[in-house]
Amino acid sequence: MTKKPSYVLEAENITINFGGLTAVNDVSLQVPFESIISIIGPNGAGKTTFFNCISGFYACDKGTVFFQERPINGIPTDEIANLGISRTYQNIRLFTNMSVIENVLIGQQPRLRSTCIDTIFQTYRNRREEKQSIQKACNLLDFVGLGAYADDVANNLPYGAQRRLEIARALGNNPHLLLLDEPCAGMNPHETSAMIELINTLRSQLKITIVLIEHDMKVVMNISDSILVLDHGEKIAQGTPDEIQSNQKVIEAYLGSGTENLVEKYSKRKADKRKLD
Amino acid sequence: MKTILTKSSKFGVVAGIILIFSEMINLSSTLAEILEKLFTGGIATKDVIIPFYMGLVTGLIVFFTTFAFLKKQKSDRKNSFLHGLAAAIIISLVSGSLISVLNIILGSYLEKGKDVRVYLEALSPDVIRAFLFQTDVRHAVMNYFLSTFLGSMTALILFWLSQKTNQPAKTIRGLARLKEKIQVGRIFERYPAVKTISILLVIIAILTLPLIVNAYTISVLGIVLIYAIMGLGLNLIVGLSGQLVFGYVAFFALGAYTFGLLTAPKPFGIEMNFWLALLISLVVAGIGGFLIGLPIMNLRGDYLAIVTLGFAEIVRILINSNLMADYTGGPQGIKNIGQPIQPSIFERYFGKPLEDNVWFLYLIIFVFLLILYAAFRLQYSRTGRSWEAMREDETVAQACGVTTSSYKVLAIVIGAAIAGAAGALYASRNTYTGPSEYAFMVSVNALAVVVVGGMGSIPGTLLGAFIIKGLPELLRDLENYRMVVFGALLIVMMIIRPEGIWPVKRRKLSVAPESIEVLKEDLKP
Repeated sequence: MTKKPSYVLEAENITINFGGLTAVNDVSLQVPFESIISIIGPNGAGKTTFFNCISGFYACDKGTVFFQERPINGIPTDEIANLGISRTYQNIRLFTNMSVIENVLIGQQPRLRSTCIDTIFQTYRNRREEKQSIQKACNLLDFVGLGAYADDVANNLPYGAQRRLEIARALGNNPHLLLLDEPCAGMNPHETSAMIELINTLRSQLKITIVLIEHDMKVVMNISDSILVLDHGEKIAQGTPDEIQSNQKVIEAYLGSGTENLVEKYSKRKADKRKLD
Repeated sequence: MKTILTKSSKFGVVAGIILIFSEMINLSSTLAEILEKLFTGGIATKDVIIPFYMGLVTGLIVFFTTFAFLKKQKSDRKNSFLHGLAAAIIISLVSGSLISVLNIILGSYLEKGKDVRVYLEALSPDVIRAFLFQTDVRHAVMNYFLSTFLGSMTALILFWLSQKTNQPAKTIRGLARLKEKIQVGRIFERYPAVKTISILLVIIAILTLPLIVNAYTISVLGIVLIYAIMGLGLNLIVGLSGQLVFGYVAFFALGAYTFGLLTAPKPFGIEMNFWLALLISLVVAGIGGFLIGLPIMNLRGDYLAIVTLGFAEIVRILINSNLMADYTGGPQGIKNIGQPIQPSIFERYFGKPLEDNVWFLYLIIFVFLLILYAAFRLQYSRTGRSWEAMREDETVAQACGVTTSSYKVLAIVIGAAIAGAAGALYASRNTYTGPSEYAFMVSVNALAVVVVGGMGSIPGTLLGAFIIKGLPELLRDLENYRMVVFGALLIVMMIIRPEGIWPVKRRKLSVAPESIEVLKEDLKP
């Protein structure tokens, strides 16, 4: 590579319409290498739609998405996976009747080369690749803490484990960019803190760039380098967690207008708390 | 008390109607005949059914009804013996009087010398005599009351015993425990030698089978195996990749006709070598699969089923039409299709050449084993897993990097090629192929093979082939009722085990993980 691109992902002026409804309106986002970016916003703000656009599920009506300076508009999802973008889903979508390890093996699909002819005749390439991919799948499962469940049926896993399995599956194709859609939804505090830890390790150990949607503010404020706030399909703010916390527009989007006093009180209390610490 | 009266008489009416219905279509006497054959070891007294077995059938029907009634009662009722007794007596009385009325009518007709067959085809005088227990009406009525009473009393006693000792629950638990103890899979895992030996034994059994069974069994085995081959192919399409293909017979016909045209003296007179022709018909069916696969690449579920259904009809009508009659022989089909020449090895080993049908069965077994091997390889590989992922969730599979459109076509091509091989074998075995053999029913049967056995399960498919094509032959004793009984068995089976008889089990694949450093190295883009 002659020159390293400055961003993993750049979305420029993305607009998506569903009939007369503008779900996402003129949103731009730059994702630097090895960063964790969160997208937040009230329900129906267009977060998942934006996500689906990046991962190729929807084509955007206006604007361009660049992945490592390569436009990826209108490319089918399997090719996007080939390029190195993986994602998880808001409502967990595993291959429920397959075993845990098989789920992770499917995730490695873009990296495998053996064909069905190889398979029938058991060529050297097929055997080597099968062995390597199973080893890698086990490593991945061990990494997310599901090593013991490898041969169970995916459907029988507890909820939190299913979320982790989705991440392990997404890691299978050596992604540069991992899109997590509400990774902590429906988790108890214990599971949530484990998930935060996992996401942090993904970045620090495996050098993966992460974009995530999350409602749990504890998670968002804890791990994000930068936060993008959407409301009614429009970008209303972007900045560090601290900036977002004190942003009037964001507070209005979440709590409604006329809450200035409340906010003042809250920030005062928070400042006091900091002093005490 | 009043509720038990109405409820149990309702059940009595049900039992009575079942009795009357099965008498009117002559089912109960057929059943009696089978029971008689079973117990007397096949030495049936000619044409005359022993009264005891008639009573046994009647009693059994009432037995099951009473048992069902007792089981349905609420728990406090269940424990009251008096309630049960009253119910059993009412059921036996009601059903007994219903069946008696029918027999009094039939008996009076018989005494007057009138023929009931004008109204009810199945009831010949001989049959009515069997229903009258070979005696007069008065004794017959007594016999009916006796057998219904005994039937319901047995049900009551057995039910009571099972309630008191809890025996059935214990037995089931014991069986489950036994199953846990004897896990064949675990034994195989621990002692690989046992696995090898048992596989060898099965192979030896398969290889000696054609030599020891009679010609009829050989022909049944042949058709079962051809359906098993088709099932393996369709299993790839429906069971693994999850595409509902209804017109599977089209590929079967393509293979059969290609083979026929290549080996028959008419119309082309090519008379090609068997193996080469088999290979070509496999390829031609595969190409057919590819062509039909292209337009339906992006269809799902029901649409796909209808498109393939249409395709199958087009193929069937084309081979039947005047348009193609010069090539396909139209309704007459293709005759004198070539059969393979027996290699001289058999003659050297057995002293004389094998009989044609035995030799052909070996051939089918050989092709079957080849395809079985390929199917196993495909299923437990990257390809098979991708198909299964597509079946589970097509959108997510594609987002994981599975090129769904090409995998769909691949599944159809391979499945079609396998059907082509089955068709070629079928045509060669019959030395004839005609349009009437490729009716829609063949597709339905092939689909039933896959569904009954268990979607996506290879051993299930084999079992399904035996059930769909073999069981109707075993049920031959039931004569006209075999298809009814067969249908009923299928329904019961799908209710009890909707996942199929031998559902697929996931293979254990996991190995010990390595350190995180390896993973870091691995995940470097």
